[in-house]
Amino acid sequence: MEPTSLALIVLLTPLASAVLIALFLRKLGGLASAVSVLAAVAIAAVGVTLTLGGDRFTASMPWLEIGTFTLSIGFLFDDLAALMLAIVGIVGLAVHVFSLGYMHDDSARARYFGGLSVFMFSMLGIVLADNLFMIFVFWELVGFSSYLLIAHYHERQSAADAAKKAFIANRVGDFGFLLGILWCYWAFGTVNLTEIATLVGSGTAVATAIPLLLFCGAVGKSAQMPLHVWLPDAMEGPTPVSALIHAATMVAAGIFMLCRIEPLFAAAPDALTVVMWVGTITAVYAAFCAIVQSDIKKVLAYSTLSQLGYMVAAFGLGSLHVAHGENVAAHTMVIAAGAGAAMFHLTTHAFFKALLFLGSGAVIHACHHEQDIFKMGGLKKLPITFATFTLGVLAIIGTPGLAGFFSKDAILYLAYANSKPVFVVLAFTAVLTAFYMIRMWKIVFLGDTRSENAKNAHENGLSLTVPLMVLAVLAVAAGYGAVYEKLAGTFAQLVPEAHGADHTLILVTSLAVLVLGAGAAFAYYPSSGSDRMAVKSPGAFAGLTLLRDSFDGLYGYYVRKVQQRFAMLLNFIEQIFLSGLIVRGLAGCVGLFGMGARALHVGSLHVYVYWFLIGVVLLWGFAVGSF
Amino acid sequence: MANLLFYLFSAIVLGTAVLVVASKNAVNSAMFFLISLMGTACLFVLLEAYLLAVLLVLVYAGAVVALFLFIVMLLDMQGGERKPFSRATIVASVIAAALLGVGVMSFLKHGQIASPVLEANTPAVGAVLKLYAAQLFTTYLLPVQVVGFLLLIAMLGVIVLSKRFEGLEDIK
Amino acid sequence: MTIGLNDYLLVSVLLFAIGFFGVLLRKNTLIVYMCLELMLVATTVALVAFSRYNRTADGNVFVFFILTVAAAEVAVGLAIIVALFRRRQTVQLDELNALKN
Repeated sequence: MEPTSLALIVLLTPLASAVLIALFLRKLGGLASAVSVLAAVAIAAVGVTLTLGGDRFTASMPWLEIGTFTLSIGFLFDDLAALMLAIVGIVGLAVHVFSLGYMHDDSARARYFGGLSVFMFSMLGIVLADNLFMIFVFWELVGFSSYLLIAHYHERQSAADAAKKAFIANRVGDFGFLLGILWCYWAFGTVNLTEIATLVGSGTAVATAIPLLLFCGAVGKSAQMPLHVWLPDAMEGPTPVSALIHAATMVAAGIFMLCRIEPLFAAAPDALTVVMWVGTITAVYAAFCAIVQSDIKKVLAYSTLSQLGYMVAAFGLGSLHVAHGENVAAHTMVIAAGAGAAMFHLTTHAFFKALLFLGSGAVIHACHHEQDIFKMGGLKKLPITFATFTLGVLAIIGTPGLAGFFSKDAILYLAYANSKPVFVVLAFTAVLTAFYMIRMWKIVFLGDTRSENAKNAHENGLSLTVPLMVLAVLAVAAGYGAVYEKLAGTFAQLVPEAHGADHTLILVTSLAVLVLGAGAAFAYYPSSGSDRMAVKSPGAFAGLTLLRDSFDGLYGYYVRKVQQRFAMLLNFIEQIFLSGLIVRGLAGCVGLFGMGARALHVGSLHVYVYWFLIGVVLLWGFAVGSF
Repeated sequence: MANLLFYLFSAIVLGTAVLVVASKNAVNSAMFFLISLMGTACLFVLLEAYLLAVLLVLVYAGAVVALFLFIVMLLDMQGGERKPFSRATIVASVIAAALLGVGVMSFLKHGQIASPVLEANTPAVGAVLKLYAAQLFTTYLLPVQVVGFLLLIAMLGVIVLSKRFEGLEDIK
Repeated sequence: MTIGLNDYLLVSVLLFAIGFFGVLLRKNTLIVYMCLELMLVATTVALVAFSRYNRTADGNVFVFFILTVAAAEVAVGLAIIVALFRRRQTVQLDELNALKN
């Protein structure tokens, strides 16, 4: 079949599934889940086929024409899109299968699977899009499906609030994004990605603000500072949702979009510095916050924030001069190493973070929906869950031989080559990453079981364990060149690789970081029922907790004091002027006159006499000639 | 001599007028009004309008004030407690007084009319009754008839108003 | 100093002002009415003064009519006040506010 048709199938299957579920299968949870899982299978199969098949193409169709402005729908299926398609397909399938078991007892299963299908549709739209407007449309759709899914347990007020928070934070970022798109259109006359790349490549000047505004969208979607506040709260949704949306795919859409507009950044290097620092600060901040979390999902959420910061920082580190060829014919090339490192880490992160989230879902499910890590313990008796989860933890902290090791090394090398301060900060963040991950792992899995739920835990069924195993395999394998090149094609060549002395330095650094962080956590935290840091050094604990809550407090204050007053002012203006004078117009004026005249009829004779006096005075003044 | 009389009578008129406004009791006000009318009649005499002076006393002081007194007694008012003036009233009164004061001042400064000097022997036109009556019944005959008609209508109106009406309780 | 027209006019103006103040300040309807009559008397004084100093009879005749009309007016006005009193049991002006709003 034609690759274009295959791509269409990939895009439209989840839409069909969502429509089917929404219209007909609302009450039939089992059937709805089956439909959705089948759609996921189709997407995975067709997607991986397309990616491995090697066909790359573009296709486009004009959708909306207003005068000279045309909005078109199209596919830009290059190596980058192929990589993302493979990730989304595989992780999506794993999550769908997992959800079969996890949500088996949920009464609103159909709504959940419908939401998952809408999400797949929107995400694939972003992946396959060829122009910025189409990306924006699907961007909003992804935000909407995230809202739907976070609020799945909508009877809980906290879930509804979290969904609102996520949507609003995204919206703020999207405002900047839209401004960037409009400016882009105004500056270049087109929003098509290939055309923009051509224009910029041939030397059109790019205002620094354009890529920065477009970056705002990534700040919102990928939860960078200062719009990171929604991601920890988004853990109110079901765990598979967290795995799919808030770990592997949606939050990665921001990074993906950045890589798409990479030519713009290349032409405006100052924007890259901003991006780099935003990512770095997010990474280290989130790592600090993760150390004091007691909810297993929140730890993973902050860990995701931190890793996203890594990716954004990697992108911001920009390009690299790479030597190619033999000594004589050696020449250096500038490669978009930032994009390459970011996408590499995105791929490995998608796999091991999805693994970690699904693993935590398995743990939660086994402990009958207990999420506090201090109430778990001794769960190494769940063999498959324990094994896969451990692999995921080892991958994220960068154990040599696993996927995370290679991608983290690539980022550290890039930082070392381009910006030493960022290198130091990112290395420190790696220490913290190891620290909090080992802390969580130890408290959850080692030691004695600390509660009834943990005592009764037993291994889950197939539908929950098979996806874990598949993702574990990928978490190990995806870092190796052979596998990654299969997925990413020519994009894999953009990954920076250290050579020689640098190589050794980076290797030593990452090993040191790993040992330091993991050893410290292992030694410091016993597997006990309370947080040792809270007990032994409450000052540090309080400080870190404050760090976490400060942003929420700041936003709350702003909304209450500033925004509400502004909204009330606008409301007043609208009521008086817009709907009063302008809309009701002449009728309103007559009414106002009537009210005014009515106020004169006080009923007191004296007042009337005073009016009379005033009239006489005016007449007399007129007669005298004062006016 | 005439000046003295003028000042005296003017003082009576204005003084009692102030007392009309200021007294609490309605009967007292009516009495002072009566005295004020007396003073005005004297002023008319000074102005050599003798008929008018007499008419003033007869009609105004005799009939109108008597009527007022009748109604005051009929309505059986308890004079006395008066609520203190509200702030708005005081402010408005001050403004009104200021306006009137300015009016009087402007009149005094600019409104002086050159009054013709009167020869001592020339009588005022209104003093001679014959001439007065001639004017009334020739030049101003129509107004006289109309005024008579007006009096008739007034009488009718008063009779109608004095009836007790049934079935108008809903009008507040 | 001979008394001139201006002095009589001044008396008239002052009397008129006093009457006006009475209308503004008093709350008893009957007294307000009396002050109205004061104002009318003031105008008669002015008219007679003018008539005397300009040596015409028009002012005097006009005063004649004013007297008549004032009498008729007082009669009708007092009849209205009595009817009002019968209905509202009061003649205080601030309580007679049925036309309010």
